[in-house]
Amino acid sequence: MNRTFNRYFGLMLLLVVAVELALAQQPPIKIGELNVLSGSFAAYGKSGRQGAQLAIDEINASGGLLGRKLELIQVDDQAKPDVGVQEAKRLILDEKVNFLVGIDSSSVALAVAPLTNEYKIPLVVMHGATPALTEQCNPYVFRTSNNARMDANAAADLAAKLPYKRWANIGPDYEYGHSSWNDFIARLKEKRPDVEVVGEQWPKGGESNYTPYITALVQQRPEAVFSALWAGDLVTFVRQANAFGFFKQIKLFVDPIGAALESIGPLGKDAPLGELFSTRYWFLQSQSPTNKKFVDAYHSKWGEWPSYNAEEHYAGVQMLAAAVRKANSLDADAIKKAFEADGGLTYEAPEGKKWMRPADHQVFEALVWGYTTPSNDYPFVVLKDITMVPESDTVYPTKCK
Amino acid sequence: MTLPFFFLEFMTGLASAASLFLLAVGLSLIFGALGIVNFAHGSFFALGAYFLFALTHGDATGFWHYLPLAVAASLVVGAVVERVFIRRVLNRAEHYQILLTYALLLIIEDVSKICFGADYKSIGMPKGFEMPVFVLGIPFPSYYLGLVGLAAAAALLLWLFLHRTRYGTLVRAVAQDREMLEALGVNVPLLFTVIFAVGIGLAGFGGAVSLPLESISTGVAMDAVISAFIVVVVGGLGSLWGTLLAAILIGEIQAFGALVLPEFSIVFAYVLMAAVLLFRPWGLLGRPPTVRT
Repeated sequence: MNRTFNRYFGLMLLLVVAVELALAQQPPIKIGELNVLSGSFAAYGKSGRQGAQLAIDEINASGGLLGRKLELIQVDDQAKPDVGVQEAKRLILDEKVNFLVGIDSSSVALAVAPLTNEYKIPLVVMHGATPALTEQCNPYVFRTSNNARMDANAAADLAAKLPYKRWANIGPDYEYGHSSWNDFIARLKEKRPDVEVVGEQWPKGGESNYTPYITALVQQRPEAVFSALWAGDLVTFVRQANAFGFFKQIKLFVDPIGAALESIGPLGKDAPLGELFSTRYWFLQSQSPTNKKFVDAYHSKWGEWPSYNAEEHYAGVQMLAAAVRKANSLDADAIKKAFEADGGLTYEAPEGKKWMRPADHQVFEALVWGYTTPSNDYPFVVLKDITMVPESDTVYPTKCK
Repeated sequence: MTLPFFFLEFMTGLASAASLFLLAVGLSLIFGALGIVNFAHGSFFALGAYFLFALTHGDATGFWHYLPLAVAASLVVGAVVERVFIRRVLNRAEHYQILLTYALLLIIEDVSKICFGADYKSIGMPKGFEMPVFVLGIPFPSYYLGLVGLAAAAALLLWLFLHRTRYGTLVRAVAQDREMLEALGVNVPLLFTVIFAVGIGLAGFGGAVSLPLESISTGVAMDAVISAFIVVVVGGLGSLWGTLLAAILIGEIQAFGALVLPEFSIVFAYVLMAAVLLFRPWGLLGRPPTVRT
């Protein structure tokens, strides 16, 4: 018996060695994904990973990229720039990743971006939305999701058509919150000189008690309130504001990513109704076969509906894969060329066409805005009276060449 | 600022005071009786909130139903922690106690991350308090009034327990002379377990009833323990009324401070603490240390 065991053991050992050798010849292409996995933004890290993983599974099932499998390594950047840089360096130096992707927080995206030059590693941002990121004209930084300026401009165009004059802001006190409000109000005032700003509230990101900000807002008596609050911050704010009857005292609440499933999901029946919300992807919007296939595949794999962050990560990985195929290489300069060639890479995402502007590596795409309304089919509010802002309306000038 | 808004800010401050009082009073009680500086106190505040969130599945309709369960779970945790850990360092030097309770803070933080997840938790207003009440024409969250009521009831019950029951007398006595109590045949170890569990139960209660007010996520325990220490330092360690007074002072200072100088609202509580430490180091209602013989 002992001898049989030894023989089998030897055979197995040989087999393991053979497999290892085969794999060593074709090491996987490693994708390092930075997301927020803890604190009030954690739900985004989860949906981002699920979307990216779905894309990677699909690519691997159809033979991988350049004959190699893709492997995803996700880390928690805690939405802190210093942690993000430290983790990105670890991914590059220890894990030897070929690409960096993801990044939810604008502040983290700005902090990590300089590493791409230092280590010549392409970074594909799929969420962090500060316009400043693609204004740096960084050769190896790409953003496959729309940015906050496009959202804010669209919001201002819609708001300009409404009768409200007294506007106020409540936004998270960091890059994304400030750039969103500045872009929004500048454009709104341009179109409507009669608009007046009655107050600005800047709670810190991850704030747990919004009460002082809510009472201050109530005292300023705005007609409409713009807010770039998102994720857990938005959920907590809405619940505390409900206790004050806040949404009944104002006429309109506008949030460019308010309809993210990571926010309206947990809010359930607590979500405010009739408010003007957007989301970078609304899974019920596009009737295209691409979208249907994606929604079905995502729902059957993860047991939940795809949020915009899930779709943006899915589409971002697919778009990166398209660039790699086109470049037929993993080299940063070849990837850059592939993204830029032929007037910019385009990709048919579940939400519709994505076009990467070659000059600044910013993707432009159509945006979806609508008013929140209760739903019989889903345990969260859905969008109605939807306005689609076409891709061409989202394009703004760039200084990059 | 008009009168109604003044009142609104005042009541908002009172609501945070209620939460602060429930958080800090257990810390004060435990220090007064056991002489333990419980660095992990904020963790039990967070645990109470986590228990309630887990029991209700984040749905506020079950709030009142599950609140007693969340408090009971906190009491049990408190008793177990005292029996297993705290008991072993009662007679040791302070730095052992601080090391142990600080380690507990870190351990509980990680265990709750594993059990409850690292994302934030928040729930809506509890049943019966969904709609605001109108005070002088200004809408005001009715739950804030409820919270103030709950804290006031807790303060009153605690005072009645400490001053009107035999067991309460023992709690006060053990703070002064433990050996004498033991000589009189009182089961002091059991008494310590009860006091610790009650202190932790109060923190858990505070965390649970504060959940509709504030969301909770990792890091809350540390913030909470710092707030709790500010309150007991200002009020006087071991003083029930001092804790109440300090909680109200700090709650109001933060509410009005946020209105006057929003960027510096966090600083005001520290300034108050610094002033108290300089001029009355034993706290507003604490007893100055007597020379020990």
